[in-house]
Amino acid sequence: MKASELFVLVSIIVFIFSLAYITSLGGLGQLPPVNVRLLAQRYLELTWNPLKPFMSSSGYESVTAIVWDFRGLDTFFETAVFYGAIIAAIAIYRGVKITGKGRTTGMSPIARTITRLSIILIPTVAASIALHGHLTPGGGFQAGSVATVVVVLIIMVFGRKALIRKGMTKARILLFRSLGLLGIGFTAVAILLAGIILGLNAYIFQNQPKPFAPLGFPKLYDGMILGGSLLLFNLFEFIAVTAGFTLVLLLLSLGEEEVRGVVEK
Amino acid sequence: MIEVFTLAFLMLVSVASVVAAYLAIRERDMVKAIVYSAIQSAMYALIFYVLMAPDIVLVYIPVSVGITPAVLLFVTKKTERYDGD
Repeated sequence: MKASELFVLVSIIVFIFSLAYITSLGGLGQLPPVNVRLLAQRYLELTWNPLKPFMSSSGYESVTAIVWDFRGLDTFFETAVFYGAIIAAIAIYRGVKITGKGRTTGMSPIARTITRLSIILIPTVAASIALHGHLTPGGGFQAGSVATVVVVLIIMVFGRKALIRKGMTKARILLFRSLGLLGIGFTAVAILLAGIILGLNAYIFQNQPKPFAPLGFPKLYDGMILGGSLLLFNLFEFIAVTAGFTLVLLLLSLGEEEVRGVVEK
Repeated sequence: MIEVFTLAFLMLVSVASVVAAYLAIRERDMVKAIVYSAIQSAMYALIFYVLMAPDIVLVYIPVSVGITPAVLLFVTKKTERYDGD
């Protein structure tokens, strides 16, 4: 590294640290209080509180409780935006034939063997993150992005055509993606539908029973914390995110010639 | 005392992330630049972990070290690998 480059680097670092110092002194606007704020206190108090059953959520994990229970509608629309982005990617690649025919040039046998082990290990970690999302840090989106790493590895090491030959065609991945989103939508209105059928009062995104709305998802089963709707939301989000990312990676890994031939027509 | 160590660690990691970001911008070889950018993201993941945000760490590591470099590598394959003048 030359002396001039080192000078540039050191001045960037000095600039960032002086900016951080000014910010910490309150020079760029008022600072938030250091202690836990009232809203955070309320969330921490109500995430798992058997003494206030009408106000609390159903898992130990505050972040999952906020994401899928206290602020569930926001996350639902976020998932819908992600789905729209995937639809846009498919629309750009319309008409391009994605087949598994032809030779694949993969990597060396060492890389292949290591990847074969990871194909089992990484989805196991992802499933534990998704299914324990209401107890430990994690959740559907986290698990989905972890599981996508396996797809990246398969496409890089074995080739895209190997993935398609194993049965992961575009239509099938899109089916999983839609099933995940339908599951999220159904879980959001499940209690409302049950309430309409039984003639009881109920809300959308209802997890636990509320005053004058006695229906709710099961909180405990045989002493085990089920997490109510949090578990279902995490599971369906896991499926939806994994399939969505897989589809985008599959489309992006297509060869330039195949896509250009269709687009220029 | 432990707070001073935490802050010193955070400072070291953030300086390392700035160095990685600078190298990623300076690098002419796109593949090397992607690797530097992944190193920068790994440093950010460490900062999130020290600041007690494990949920963010769990999503940040696969997205920034696994998926984003993969997408960028796919895109690099469709263009030129070396950045010209």
